[in-house]
Amino acid sequence: MTDKSLTIGSTVALPKPELDLLMADLRKNGFQTVGPHLQDESIVYTKIDGLKDLPRGILSEQNPASYRMIQTGKDRYFDFIPGGQSWKQFLFPPRHTLFTAVKDGKWLLKENDEPTPRYALIGVRACELAAIHIQDRVFLREDFSDPIYRLRREGLFILAVNCLDPDATCFCVSMGTGPRLAAGFDLCVTELDEVFLVEVGSELGRSLLADRTYDLPSAFVQNTANQALERAAESMVRTMDTSDLPGLLTGQLEAERWTEVGKRCLSCANCTLVCPTCFCWDATDQVDILGKSTRRERVWDSCFNPHYSYVVGGNTRPNIRSRYRQWLTHKLGAWKGQFDVLGCVGCGRCITWCPAGIDLTEEVAAIRAEVKA
Amino acid sequence: MVPAEDIHSALQKIPWFSTLTPEHFKKTAELAHLRYAKAGETFFREGDKQDYVYIVLEGRVSLDIFVPHHGKMHFYTAEPYDVFGWSSVTPGMHQRIAGAVAVLDSTVACIDAEGLRQFAENDHDFGYLLMRRLANVVASRLMVTRLQLIDMFAGPTETMND
Amino acid sequence: MTTTLINTSAHSAGYTDKLLLPHWAEIVKIIPEIEGVTTFQLKFTDPEVENRYRFEPGQFNMLYVPGYGEAAISMSSDLETANGLLVHTIRHIGNVTRGTSRLKVGDVVGIRGPFGTSWPLDAIEGLDVVIACGGIGLPPLRGAIYRIIRNRDKYGKVTLLYGARTPKDLIYPTEYETWQKAGIDMQVTVDRGDETWTGRVGVVPMWFYHFRVDPHKTAVLTCGPEIMMRFVIYEALARRIPSDHIYISLERNMKCGQGACGHCQQGPYFICKDGPVFPFSALENIFNVEEY
Repeated sequence: MTDKSLTIGSTVALPKPELDLLMADLRKNGFQTVGPHLQDESIVYTKIDGLKDLPRGILSEQNPASYRMIQTGKDRYFDFIPGGQSWKQFLFPPRHTLFTAVKDGKWLLKENDEPTPRYALIGVRACELAAIHIQDRVFLREDFSDPIYRLRREGLFILAVNCLDPDATCFCVSMGTGPRLAAGFDLCVTELDEVFLVEVGSELGRSLLADRTYDLPSAFVQNTANQALERAAESMVRTMDTSDLPGLLTGQLEAERWTEVGKRCLSCANCTLVCPTCFCWDATDQVDILGKSTRRERVWDSCFNPHYSYVVGGNTRPNIRSRYRQWLTHKLGAWKGQFDVLGCVGCGRCITWCPAGIDLTEEVAAIRAEVKA
Repeated sequence: MVPAEDIHSALQKIPWFSTLTPEHFKKTAELAHLRYAKAGETFFREGDKQDYVYIVLEGRVSLDIFVPHHGKMHFYTAEPYDVFGWSSVTPGMHQRIAGAVAVLDSTVACIDAEGLRQFAENDHDFGYLLMRRLANVVASRLMVTRLQLIDMFAGPTETMND
Repeated sequence: MTTTLINTSAHSAGYTDKLLLPHWAEIVKIIPEIEGVTTFQLKFTDPEVENRYRFEPGQFNMLYVPGYGEAAISMSSDLETANGLLVHTIRHIGNVTRGTSRLKVGDVVGIRGPFGTSWPLDAIEGLDVVIACGGIGLPPLRGAIYRIIRNRDKYGKVTLLYGARTPKDLIYPTEYETWQKAGIDMQVTVDRGDETWTGRVGVVPMWFYHFRVDPHKTAVLTCGPEIMMRFVIYEALARRIPSDHIYISLERNMKCGQGACGHCQQGPYFICKDGPVFPFSALENIFNVEEY
């Protein structure tokens, strides 16, 4: 097969070892390949060099406040459902030096001149791609364009992966974000036992794939993949009723449920840190011991942190009830008005990683029930 | 004592009096007289007997409480058309619980509290109007007192690193 | 949103492509106001920045003290009166603002701004204006007062209600006489008077009991403790002043000034960019919600 027939929208069958070579090509082109890796009994996103670093034969089993790895021994690389980390750490670094102010008689500013890394994300799920698109709306706006995010986003390569085995905390079908990818990737992989089915989504994806050895997918292979994708959508048990969520939540600021969930929530901020769309940040000064220089950093922040809503005189949200309400009414309510999209993709991370097992789909249902009662 | 026309025209300027029937107005005016007070002049002191209820027409009258070690604390000023000494009209109060002193040259309508109470007792229609007015006065005082109690300009009770 | 927010046109020196990168400004004068409150006059060290910089009363700067961090501080003057300087009256009460209390003339601070919406001084032309403020809420309105005085014939009756804890807590006391002479009815109220105080004692909202307003031609501008503003708004609404003629300046934790860091998000707004000055009509559903 010649590369002339390969166009955007084409799907090919790629032997699994070829993905190694494709990643090597990405690195030759200046990309850092980052992807899933099994570390400390959890899937993390980190620098990877090839298939050997991927979590081969690993399934995850996720439930509220519960996360387990299961060894299947299968020769498959993308069976797991993502862990606590999301790709936002690469586009919106958890800690980033903005500048250093140095006192040499007077104060001088030294900008951070570290080169911007160029990332190739390997294994982006449909919900995760939707999360990146949401953060695009947050960070790249007409009236504000975040330079740190923008430079990373512009150079991004995305190798997406279709989800075939959703976890118990997943609800992307309700949010309309998955499990199947539609667009917005450079390449999109559906993994079968013997082969990767790869769809071309961009010119860069096409040219990388063109250098590899691949076959036209047989009707049987395509059929198998389609059936697996349909089964994945059907097997998703968790749901959230999204009808007029902003109206529901902003109309229920005094719901009893806020008080109830406020008693269970520990205000630990885990949900906001694992959330692939949460974008709040703080800026802090790291001063050297002599007071001659100070490094100004941007760091992730969370609306659950006590200092988050501090104003002179105290905290405007001293009670956990109001912090949880703030988080949920923003994410599933005001977010829509601000960014024309809800701030949730249904990835379920906040459910899995909440130490109290608080499940936002349950909270929304309870608030809905209060209205009907 | 000032002529009756003076007290009539003075009371007519007060919004509440314009809602009274001519008869109620006349009887109230008979209980009232005007007093011109120079700045610094005292109307009553804490512990005095309750003889009049006052309405400021011009100037400013300050209400105070003496607090040992702090001196006189001024907690409210009555502005034109404001009532002060209102508790003299309520039953059960027999002595002033605050002092009142003109802080500016002031003209004040003084209404005989006992007479007003009797009038209200004998004519419940009038009594209702009077008590309704006093309820408004007390409600506004309560609002002011609450906001003062909150001490909204005080410094923060907790500080955090931000 | 059906509510119209305020549109402010200003030329910023702060929207650089570098996130949070400030411009240095030198302290040229420090004026002690009352205990714990100081006014700083600042001048950009880069003349080009100074020339480009324009602001409207009601807007704020992010003021950076190296080693301490940034704080949102309102403009305490207007462009014309400040004459090329930035004027900030600061209460030294938070981490950063306590840092400013150690600064001396000749020291530099970082400035980003101006940010946010301004007092709608054009939109309220022709109306009576009630400016209701308390404590450290006067400085953010001083620029508006200067502007109104300079265009005094464009407004009807103008009343300044200013409240403070005690007579010694009043900010800018030496200017009141000038303002009164310039056609502003000064109504200064303290929570607690002392023996020598001949002014009003009570709280700012009680002014509404003593004066009549024409609800159809009155605008209210309010800034101060949230509890004070709440009662000013109750009284104004009770007198049927329309909620879109009541303007309020909100305070929230702010880190960026550009609606980016998330801290000041409240309901549909980022206070730093959709506010800090809002018509009350835009806040009716959220202002009285506890801890929202």
